[in-house]
Amino acid sequence: MKTLLFRILASAVLAAVAWLLLAGASSPKGATLEPDKLIILSTTDVKGKTGPCG
Amino acid sequence: MDSIKAGYSQVVLVDNGGFFDESEMRRDLSWFLMDVMKLLGYDAVGCSEKELRFGVGYLKAQLKRTQLPMVCANLYDRKSGKLLLPPYVIKQVGTVRVGVFGLISNVLDLGPSRDSLRVEEPGAAAKRVVAGLRKKGATIVVLLSQLGKIESEDLVTAVDGVDAVIVGHNVPLLQKGRMIKNTVACYGGSEGQYVGRTVLTLDARRRMATGDDETFILGPEIPDRKDIAVLVKGFEDTFNEKLRKLEKERAAQEAEKATSGTPDHYLGQEVCARCHVAEAAQWKATGHARAWQTLVAARKEAVPECVRCHVVGYNQAGGFKELTLTPGLANVQCESCHGMGTQHDAYGSTPRKVTEQTCRSCHTKETSPEFDFALFEPHVNHKGVGTPQPLPESPMKKQLPAGK
Repeated sequence: MKTLLFRILASAVLAAVAWLLLAGASSPKGATLEPDKLIILSTTDVKGKTGPCG
Repeated sequence: MDSIKAGYSQVVLVDNGGFFDESEMRRDLSWFLMDVMKLLGYDAVGCSEKELRFGVGYLKAQLKRTQLPMVCANLYDRKSGKLLLPPYVIKQVGTVRVGVFGLISNVLDLGPSRDSLRVEEPGAAAKRVVAGLRKKGATIVVLLSQLGKIESEDLVTAVDGVDAVIVGHNVPLLQKGRMIKNTVACYGGSEGQYVGRTVLTLDARRRMATGDDETFILGPEIPDRKDIAVLVKGFEDTFNEKLRKLEKERAAQEAEKATSGTPDHYLGQEVCARCHVAEAAQWKATGHARAWQTLVAARKEAVPECVRCHVVGYNQAGGFKELTLTPGLANVQCESCHGMGTQHDAYGSTPRKVTEQTCRSCHTKETSPEFDFALFEPHVNHKGVGTPQPLPESPMKKQLPAGK
């Protein structure tokens, strides 16, 4: 009984460690900011301008 | 752009085309802007008839040199029957797979490329490309449209599956975008003074749940990226010198032709000031009297479409030609608003009224978005009654017209 409990606990710990390692590897340098957002920045019809006239 | 990227991990940067200058004299700006876009990390750029104005060979050579990802899904080489450019790009942006495709109008003249290229009907191309992008796993589809406002809106109404459309080609600037059926439409302003920010909220499948869009003026509050600013200054110094030389040559040729056959011409404010002393003194305190300096500060003193509104009678009889030839006609002077000095007799007895339309010939929505006639006019009207309200400090503080 004791061996069975030990085995279950060991499996759980191993699974937790594996999950943490995988999670760490999949988020490069910190968490994704606003993961449920996609931002599209756009410019249009620039017509040769590098800036306003002044 | 950097500040947006600091707050959000999933950002796509696009331009929907129309960035080549229309003047042959200013062709250098085309390759320079391509270089800058590449440096800024544009993920995709669209194509308009402007990008074809120097010929297909020129565009292809610059694309090869810069490796800028230009897309267009309905522009074909007549001879080979193949697409001139890649129809789309697919980018993995964080957890989102984004497909970006471009469309050009099939009712426009392609200029020197008209005989070598063919444009497919945009709706048919859109249906095919959207289906293809979805098949390749794109969960978000963005259209870079050079179809104009009405055609772009009609297209996304008829074709399902476009999540966002960047609307270009002579499109009115609207601060707030709008939903067209299931598509967020962005109507960013032209001439590099604005940036559109479209925010898509994603569901668990990384598809668009909701969308919102707003266009921002790139005012002085938003600092230039230092490395790009250095690059722009270096380019503009060389380019302006080249333009100045060309402009001087052209002005000298015109001066030779003389304007003696034209009875009416500009005189300059010094002539007006001989009688209108108080008005001239008041004018000296206005921004109009420093208009040339603001152009110099912005390094745009050799750009004809800018010069036009910072001098008197640009390239007209007796008007400003070039600073060394006509130094007395720099700045916005009396005749800019009141007309040619030699016509004085004609309207001297009945003063010519300066209306909002007079101001609007230069203070357009594009060049002067903060302009409000009621607020600005008291600063220049010579009446000297009371203290005019202070002018807005920056265009960023003024709201743009909202979408309807």
